[in-house]
Amino acid sequence: MLAQIQRHWFLYVLIAPIIAYFCAFLFYPMGQGVFLSFQKAGLLGPVGFIGWENYQKVFSTPMVWQTIWNTLILSAGITFFGVLLPIVPAIALAEVFPDWVKRGLQTIIYTPYLFSWVIIIGIWSNTLSPIGLVNSLLVQSGLIEQPITFFASPVWARPMVIGLTVWKDIGFHALIYLAALLSLNPDVLEAADIDGANGWQKIKDIVIPHLMPMIKVVFLITLLGSLRTFDSAFLMLNGRTADQIRTLAIFTYERGILNFDLGVASAAGVVLLAVSLIIAGIARLILREREA
Amino acid sequence: MLRSRPITILSFVVLIALAATMVVPLWSVAATAFSTKFGSLQPGVILWPNPWSLEGFDTLFRRLNFLLPFANTFYVTVVGTIAHVLLSALGGYVLVHEELPGRRIIAGIILLTLTIPSQVILVPLFVVFKQFQLLNTLLSLIVSELVSAFSILLMKTYFEQVPKTMIESARMDGAGHFKLLKDFYFPLALPGVVTVAAFQIVHKYNLFIEPLLFIRDPQKVTLQIALQSVILGESSTSTNDFIAPNVTMAAIVLALIPLLIFYPFMQRYLVRGLTLGGVKE
Repeated sequence: MLAQIQRHWFLYVLIAPIIAYFCAFLFYPMGQGVFLSFQKAGLLGPVGFIGWENYQKVFSTPMVWQTIWNTLILSAGITFFGVLLPIVPAIALAEVFPDWVKRGLQTIIYTPYLFSWVIIIGIWSNTLSPIGLVNSLLVQSGLIEQPITFFASPVWARPMVIGLTVWKDIGFHALIYLAALLSLNPDVLEAADIDGANGWQKIKDIVIPHLMPMIKVVFLITLLGSLRTFDSAFLMLNGRTADQIRTLAIFTYERGILNFDLGVASAAGVVLLAVSLIIAGIARLILREREA
Repeated sequence: MLRSRPITILSFVVLIALAATMVVPLWSVAATAFSTKFGSLQPGVILWPNPWSLEGFDTLFRRLNFLLPFANTFYVTVVGTIAHVLLSALGGYVLVHEELPGRRIIAGIILLTLTIPSQVILVPLFVVFKQFQLLNTLLSLIVSELVSAFSILLMKTYFEQVPKTMIESARMDGAGHFKLLKDFYFPLALPGVVTVAAFQIVHKYNLFIEPLLFIRDPQKVTLQIALQSVILGESSTSTNDFIAPNVTMAAIVLALIPLLIFYPFMQRYLVRGLTLGGVKE
């Protein structure tokens, strides 16, 4: 053992800066967050231990409950649609031909995944503006009389955040499913052919069960990602949508950075971490239970 | 695959419809960007420049100094990606040594970082960056995600596929750690290195929360922040500083160009990385 350590001492030197980085810029801030959440915030920094007072303030602020509720609703919507909808284009991509068409379509639907949220909002604020493409079509076809203000309406706020998130990620998730589909044994499908199964039956009884392990993986990634929703909701936040889409992460930003109330903001951050860890833990447990 | 005619037809319909939701809005953005200010303000759908003009781009560069955010973002992306790739490779290289005592502890620490998303520690992150005197520096954007567990694990996965015997014989010949990395792991695991780099380039280019948090100095503004102020400025009511849709859309077109140039070359790696990443998580 000691000889091994001596032989490899230089490897420890190599990994040291990485561990030091994680300590300084992840674990230390995390610790600071917990520390600050028990401190009374002064103008120049924390001025003393005040126990659970910040947490009491957090939980007695109605806006916090609203943001937790918003986070959960957005997260549920993004996870539900973000996991299930991409199965459709994944199966479709396995069906289309020739190869260059398949590759072209694949490229196009994956592209939005690379765009920043600023660009996504910019693109859609043009298409969904009151005089934009969608409203023009809807008004002309007589479906609506007044243009819908998609980006400034309490009713549309949550569907917009959920819809655009699902749209942005649909190609990414579809490609994950597609990779799993390619490992499907063709003999199984052929056997089903011989038994006279039609396409829909094959999807239901062979393709979906085959995708199940991947669906679980995508479920976990999407759930964890959606609980931290920040950019999308932040950029769609305005006077008319704030109560619907202000997430807990946005609340900590507004309280801590804009209002400089570090104590309460840090406590809210700790609550957010706890909530996401608990939900992730439950999700993992449920998935494992199913497997057993 | 399914040998069903209706499903095949439906597949084409679904994919073309989905692709249209990506192509049509982008097309409309480009058409608006190349219109005059007056043309872009007309009601109705713009699917062709109306009339053709570069006014939007002109306003962007002359009045809004749009070159600066590009230069800053370019700097952060290049330096940040190089540093990220080198450090991740180092981490992957160390983890590849299975016989290293304490390897599981090191791997455990690295995995633990995955449970702390930066969105959750925004406020303490601000405090800590202030303590390190990194506020208002472009360095702060390079330092945030200087190395990540995801990239280290990806590198390690690729490094593991390099034949052990080859490494052993090179070591016999007296190759040191850096020589092994430079002459064997890097070239033989190049797809992995490129994958990490490709993801990091996109990540750095799209940085939004970090500059929002750390940077106030207008000289250090980065692309996404500049873009945000142009897009939100659209609703500005003061008449002499009114930013018309053609300017906003020109900004989006400019921001998209580097990504769209880069994408075809990197697509293979981005797709491979994500399926690998998906399986890993």
